[in-house]
Amino acid sequence: MAATDPLPSAAHTVQEFVHGYEEEHRLRGFQCRNCGLRTATWTLACPRCGTPDLEEATLSDRGTVVAFTVLTVPGDEFLNDAPYAYVVVELDGGGRVTGWMPSVKSDSDLAIGTRVRFSPSYKPGVQFVKEADSPPTE
Amino acid sequence: MRETWVVGAASNRFGKMQETGREAATRVALEAVRQSGLAPKDIGYTFVSNCFGLTEKQGHVGPLINGGLGIPEVPSCTIESACSSSSAALHEAFVHVAGGFADAALVVGVEKLSHLDTLTATSYFAEAADYAFETKNGATFPGLYATLANAYQKAFPMKPEVLGSVAIKNHANAARNPHAQFQKEISMETYLNSPMIASPLRLFDCCPFSDGAAAVVVAAKEFVRQPATEPLVVRASARAGSITEMQDRPDLLGLPATRTAAQKAFRQAGMEPKQIDFLEVHDCFTIAELFALEDLGFLPRGTAGRAETDGVTARDGSLPVNPSGGLKAKGHPVSATGASQVVEIFEQFNGLAKGREVPRAETALAHNVGATGGSCSVHIFSRR
Repeated sequence: MAATDPLPSAAHTVQEFVHGYEEEHRLRGFQCRNCGLRTATWTLACPRCGTPDLEEATLSDRGTVVAFTVLTVPGDEFLNDAPYAYVVVELDGGGRVTGWMPSVKSDSDLAIGTRVRFSPSYKPGVQFVKEADSPPTE
Repeated sequence: MRETWVVGAASNRFGKMQETGREAATRVALEAVRQSGLAPKDIGYTFVSNCFGLTEKQGHVGPLINGGLGIPEVPSCTIESACSSSSAALHEAFVHVAGGFADAALVVGVEKLSHLDTLTATSYFAEAADYAFETKNGATFPGLYATLANAYQKAFPMKPEVLGSVAIKNHANAARNPHAQFQKEISMETYLNSPMIASPLRLFDCCPFSDGAAAVVVAAKEFVRQPATEPLVVRASARAGSITEMQDRPDLLGLPATRTAAQKAFRQAGMEPKQIDFLEVHDCFTIAELFALEDLGFLPRGTAGRAETDGVTARDGSLPVNPSGGLKAKGHPVSATGASQVVEIFEQFNGLAKGREVPRAETALAHNVGATGGSCSVHIFSRR
């Protein structure tokens, strides 16, 4: 980036990310024009290569669980939801997102490798359900 | 760079403080200065850490501490790096002294949380994660480490007793440490019967909420001349960062910031892991002690659990880890933790660690992590 170039401006704000998954039911993200990395985190530069040249991307609503925990002691916005799973999901087509699964009540309900689908039903945050439990889509 | 020494280090008992953070901080600071044989007026800069000071309605605590030490004209500032705040403050003190900007500097870390209810305290802890992209998606501080533990267990299957052995060992050490919050041994039965907090982490995998204060005095070798105690030579003071969000980390098997900070530290010291006699590492959760041993370069990936169950990390093992009891059992008053690790090393080198001595220790390493590894400090010390 030359000194005379305008500063990079993110296509949207952190609040718009949150609004995206809570109200518009889509996972907003960025794709790096230099290295191709997809991220679901608000940023002005690529977290992998550092290039401040990102384009807006809507990330896939399906993916695979790469790590999870089942919380019996919840966060303070989740007091009525425990136990629930907190998950790291590798999305189809790239990008990882963390979210939560209200339907998972114990370790035996979920495994690394489980296919999941982004399916917000109520706030807050990014909510997933098992792909097997979700209605078929066209 | 000037050779820089730790010449004084003091801590109160972790757990629950009746006094305010400011009072406790001033008290341990005065004790550390007295130990050093220096006078308060020899301090050229005070670096304070107090992440949650605002819960006591008190910010800008440095001038209050300096005022209480009778040196109100000495500059101060507050250094925040979540759970690694006071090791970050130590790094700044080192930079000032080694670089010749101060002859001696004071590091004070203090935290008071016991006036808050558990839910409020838990929420403050979670604020060191990424609020929008982690906390708001259901994460808690134990939940984030539990997620990493889950990924690690998938790659390297282990029984619950492996993490239990870390908790039991650290409690046994803390039972011999008068600064520790939990001066009590626990059994495997107690560990296994403790409630699950965030699978696979049970209550006894987690560090407690703690109040506490710790202080360290560093000074240039040429300024000290006749040390009042056995000084710790600072052989390395290194820090590193990494992406905070778990969703942007390609590798969940450990903490990348530890790897980077350790590489920098060993290069700076001109040393290798096998030359280190004992470690104080950041075991906010038992799994974090396994990560530390592997990320710091002491053990190959996937083998730390075996080392724990084999007794390698016990005080009389070949690689003693957390003779203080660690965050797990000594306690974790967030901003005091990094400084308190140095207090343990100072007491070990000065014959003050009665009943928990690491035999024949000449070198030690302190490892302090901010939150889930967005920040990390590694310090290496040796005798003169």
